[in-house]
Amino acid sequence: MEFARTFLKIVSKAERTITLLAFAVMTLVIIADVFSRKLTGVGIAGAPRIGVFAMIATAFVSFGLASDARRHLRPKFADTWFPEHWDGAITRIQELLTAAFCLVFAIVAVGVVRETYELGEATRMLRIPVWPMQAIIPLVFFVAAIRHSIFGLIPELRPVLEDAEGLDAIPSGASEDTEGEKA
Amino acid sequence: MSALVLSSSLVLMLLLRQRIVIMLMLAAGFSYLVWGDGKLGYVVLDTWAAADQEVLLSIPLFILAGNIMSRGSIARRLIAIMREAMNPIPGGLAIATVLSCAFFAAISGSSTVTLIAVGSVMYPALIDAGYSKKFALGALCAAGTLGIIVPPSIPLILYGVMTETSIADLFKAGIGPAILLTSLFVIYSMAVNWSKERAPFNFSALIDALKNGIFALFMPVVILGGIYAGWFTATESAAVAVFYAVLVELLVHRDMTLAELKDTSLETATMMGSLFPLLMMALSINTFMAYEQIPAALVGWMTELVSDPVSFLLITMVLLLAVGCFMDIGSAILIISPLLMPLALSQGVDPVHFGVIMITNLEIGYLTPPLGLNLIVAMTAFKEDFWLIAKSVLPFLVLMIIGLLIVTFTPSLSLFLVK
Repeated sequence: MEFARTFLKIVSKAERTITLLAFAVMTLVIIADVFSRKLTGVGIAGAPRIGVFAMIATAFVSFGLASDARRHLRPKFADTWFPEHWDGAITRIQELLTAAFCLVFAIVAVGVVRETYELGEATRMLRIPVWPMQAIIPLVFFVAAIRHSIFGLIPELRPVLEDAEGLDAIPSGASEDTEGEKA
Repeated sequence: MSALVLSSSLVLMLLLRQRIVIMLMLAAGFSYLVWGDGKLGYVVLDTWAAADQEVLLSIPLFILAGNIMSRGSIARRLIAIMREAMNPIPGGLAIATVLSCAFFAAISGSSTVTLIAVGSVMYPALIDAGYSKKFALGALCAAGTLGIIVPPSIPLILYGVMTETSIADLFKAGIGPAILLTSLFVIYSMAVNWSKERAPFNFSALIDALKNGIFALFMPVVILGGIYAGWFTATESAAVAVFYAVLVELLVHRDMTLAELKDTSLETATMMGSLFPLLMMALSINTFMAYEQIPAALVGWMTELVSDPVSFLLITMVLLLAVGCFMDIGSAILIISPLLMPLALSQGVDPVHFGVIMITNLEIGYLTPPLGLNLIVAMTAFKEDFWLIAKSVLPFLVLMIIGLLIVTFTPSLSLFLVK
């Protein structure tokens, strides 16, 4: 259990760092490009593409942050349809099912990335290979599969927070509290 | 038979408390495997193609700008301006509440953030000033919903992405309905509180409040003015909004530290982690449906049932009101808008106008039990009984439905800035 706890902590920390870096790159590159275009009439070459790739990295890597903060949307109206003492078992199934789907998605994504690599696909404007960027998809979903498997097998490590019900509900500082609120 | 298998699987997933993104993953995978070419790889490719769009950059940037501005003292500054300006008017405090929500919504872009930020100051103030609990709760919950129709609005961007409609045009189109709904709330607030004691007008206090809050008031002007004047695209205005928000909060108001900016960025990224996978899966299903010509088939089927735009719009209104009761607005837009859009087009409804109709319609869902988000948030934030809050919003629900009917059957109200 300690190994799993340490693993989750390391993964969360890595995700936070990568997400923050990618998010900063995305924001700064786009702001710089807009100001350059408005002030000098010429944008920064390739900036929108870099912004988009940084956004993709942020969006995929923060999938894990959303799992940690229980921010993945879930309809809750059917929660009371089963007796309360089934909650533990249903939660385990929920997490293991999520893990299974993430694993299948990751395996399929590996095939897609391999195809892109073999075809030698390159990006517009930047002319760099697409596959290293695409590789983030299987990586993120493999990690998600492991994370949700741990949540399913060791429910004590599952974040103790309410699941999100709407995209609009932004619990201020939720991401900061997550680590401390893990059981 | 396959449709039945998919539906049953989705119901089972719902019972097993599965996340929406996983349900969409199942739907996309099943569709490609059973009705498509049998290759799951297309789901991943569509996901990648969905993410690889410059227009999406506006979403995290607008959310970040809103989150930065919402962390500081913007709400307090805006409220001070509105209170001083509305003091001499009957029901002045109530009107100040509605207007504070409308302006704060234009900055934060979020309904629940608006409700909490303005409500935490105005709810006790309204109660102290002798306004009934029922009115105060109703006004805050209802005015809080303006966050999703007042541009910049994330639901409007999502609709734009899903239906390939101009986001700048959608922002322009949101202004008229936002003014209409705000006016309806203001008139009602004035009418029911006509006999309330009025405070004298204090010009110097208003000037002081304006000095303190001018930068907050100026943000919607920068964003909307830039888009309206044609200086900025939606993504550019989002970048400018972030730059402006950082500048104001770090250097002018000095209400935010660099560490708080980091936290806010992380919070925004976490929100992206829940929104973007959903968006990508929904776009993947959308691509599949377009490839299989499902919207066209749906249009053919629907035109046999509905022959005129009025009936179509009325049916759509009822459908969306029902959906709003049970579904989060973001998910509803991602799943339903690609299906309804071709139907709207076939009935001659303008896509921009239809977007505004959809958002106004789903906005009402924030106030309807069992899953009205503003009801739940108000219950937690103000520690009041859920059913008291649900009853308190009833008069405002009637106003919103009147507003919705006007928005739906008066296209020029939305399109006067677009065309």
